[in-house]
Amino acid sequence: MTRKWLRWLPAVAVPAVIAAGALAGSLPASAGDPLPTKTPEQVLQLIAQHRTPALSGTLEQSSELGLPELPKTGTGPDSSSTAWLELLTGPHTARVYRDGPDNARIQVMDRLAERNAVRHGNEVWFYNSKDNTASHLQLPANPAGAANHRGDGRDATATPDQLATMLLAKIEPGTDVTVGADVQVAGRAAYNLVLTPKSDATLVGSIAVAVDGQTGLPLGVEIKARGQADPAFRVTYTSLTLGAPDASVFTFSPPPGATVQEIPVPEHKRGNDAGNAAAPAAKDSARKPAVTGSGWDSVVEFPAGTAGPASDAKAPALLEQATVPVQGGRLLSTALVNVLVLDDGRVVAGSVPLERLQAAAAQK
Amino acid sequence: MLCALAAIPVLIAVAVRVSSAVPPGRGPAFLDRIAQNGLFVGVTAMVVSVPLFLPLTVGVVAGDTIAGEAGLGTLRYLLVAPAGRIRLLIVKYAGTALFVLVAPLVVALTGAGIGAALFPVGPVTLLSGDTIEPGEAVVRLLLIAAYLAVSLLGLSAIGLFISTLTDVPVGAMAATVVLSVVAQVLDALPQLGSLHPWLFSHYWLDFGDLLRQPVSWDAFAGNAVLQGGYIAVFGALAYCRFITKDVLS
Repeated sequence: MTRKWLRWLPAVAVPAVIAAGALAGSLPASAGDPLPTKTPEQVLQLIAQHRTPALSGTLEQSSELGLPELPKTGTGPDSSSTAWLELLTGPHTARVYRDGPDNARIQVMDRLAERNAVRHGNEVWFYNSKDNTASHLQLPANPAGAANHRGDGRDATATPDQLATMLLAKIEPGTDVTVGADVQVAGRAAYNLVLTPKSDATLVGSIAVAVDGQTGLPLGVEIKARGQADPAFRVTYTSLTLGAPDASVFTFSPPPGATVQEIPVPEHKRGNDAGNAAAPAAKDSARKPAVTGSGWDSVVEFPAGTAGPASDAKAPALLEQATVPVQGGRLLSTALVNVLVLDDGRVVAGSVPLERLQAAAAQK
Repeated sequence: MLCALAAIPVLIAVAVRVSSAVPPGRGPAFLDRIAQNGLFVGVTAMVVSVPLFLPLTVGVVAGDTIAGEAGLGTLRYLLVAPAGRIRLLIVKYAGTALFVLVAPLVVALTGAGIGAALFPVGPVTLLSGDTIEPGEAVVRLLLIAAYLAVSLLGLSAIGLFISTLTDVPVGAMAATVVLSVVAQVLDALPQLGSLHPWLFSHYWLDFGDLLRQPVSWDAFAGNAVLQGGYIAVFGALAYCRFITKDVLS
């Protein structure tokens, strides 16, 4: 009898070995603080002095915003009205190539599809393989703030350095800035710059920026919501190679059979540009949004009819599903931002609890 | 069974040929490209056959390995020969692996062939928007077939193990096919995200990574490791079950 059971040993041993191997692989590699200690100011300087290097790498973005996640059935068609919502829910992987300020390419890799944004000199191409459409944008000869255009509109996965520059610009007296224990990102030792809002009223718990110890390149951004263990939003490099990628990566011409569309050159940068996303959408409209409060717990109020997604033609049905009715309007609640659509058409938004939004709305 | 698989691309090609133009973004991926480039018949046929048709045929072949012999009453005669049970198991698995290798190849090559016969062939547009020459495209097509062959090796190891459990071949076949469907359903539920990387079907549709420029090998490597794990676990299980089994038929 025991002999017979002994012969089952391999069937137990093999899964055990695999489980042990998987466990050993998933343990975080202890960095052991290999980098010299730096103050937050020095880390900020390290970021500020870094020059756009030549690199190729893979980015991974994931969100836990508390929005319902849409099942990915893989090959099905995707309507463009839900595409922006999809970017906020599921995880995404993108490949990034950069060579100097004028050459960049980002490939958002979907299942059996891909969204591309390519910049070569002053030519910018967007390509979506799902419907085989390409759009072309000719930048003005003297591009101001050139590096920002990669994060423009179409590709919602911003690179860590864009995000970090944006977030660090907001550092103010209301924020605690510390340097945490060193982390390993994409196999590189990195400083971990942690920003913690001093205010209790905001939903943002902390923001951590991983800064490469050698080059000062931001390698990852992690935003945690208050009282949530998993990061509400994170974008980080999973692999990174410094050095110029193959030049052919940046040359793009629309494939035969593709629908090509010419995008008119914007005269000045729009609100949804990555560079100043802090003041969204309605910037160039005559009716400016009103801001109450300051710092982390400020509340933005859009007059009726100006706020972007809420006044979209397709939005009502979507809005109906994503929001819950509350006193005075409907609430779109996520881990980081609450948006209150009032019955009179005004939209109040902020990284604060619902009560504060209602109070701000009542003031007017 | 190979003929049934070969019928899939033929059906697709003929259907697209006789029907009107397919609007982009409708139906299975790449269907709208077929009319412009015949080589996409092969790709579309593989997209269509991955979720059900390929696992179905692999389940039939793998489920039949041991249980089929037992059901026919020939298993004990095979074991009377001084070949040993381990060798029999290895040869049976090798036979399944050969089928797994040939099946996607048949779909790809029949697709490319019928596509070239019915539609124009030209430079192929990749997912990244870059175009490559038809010769290189055929190489990519063969790579995808190899990817699918690797993808199905894990399922065939599961089928081999189930086949050692029973004397009824149909039961083993059905169980294997059902498992492949269950794994895909689980893979589609976002609530089970932590389980997904462990499902043998997790990488099945990621062969699109071979159609990018430059080629992304991450899915290929991850898939190979995962399938290797399944082969090791279920190979060991099948081995233990088979050497301890009382063969009565």
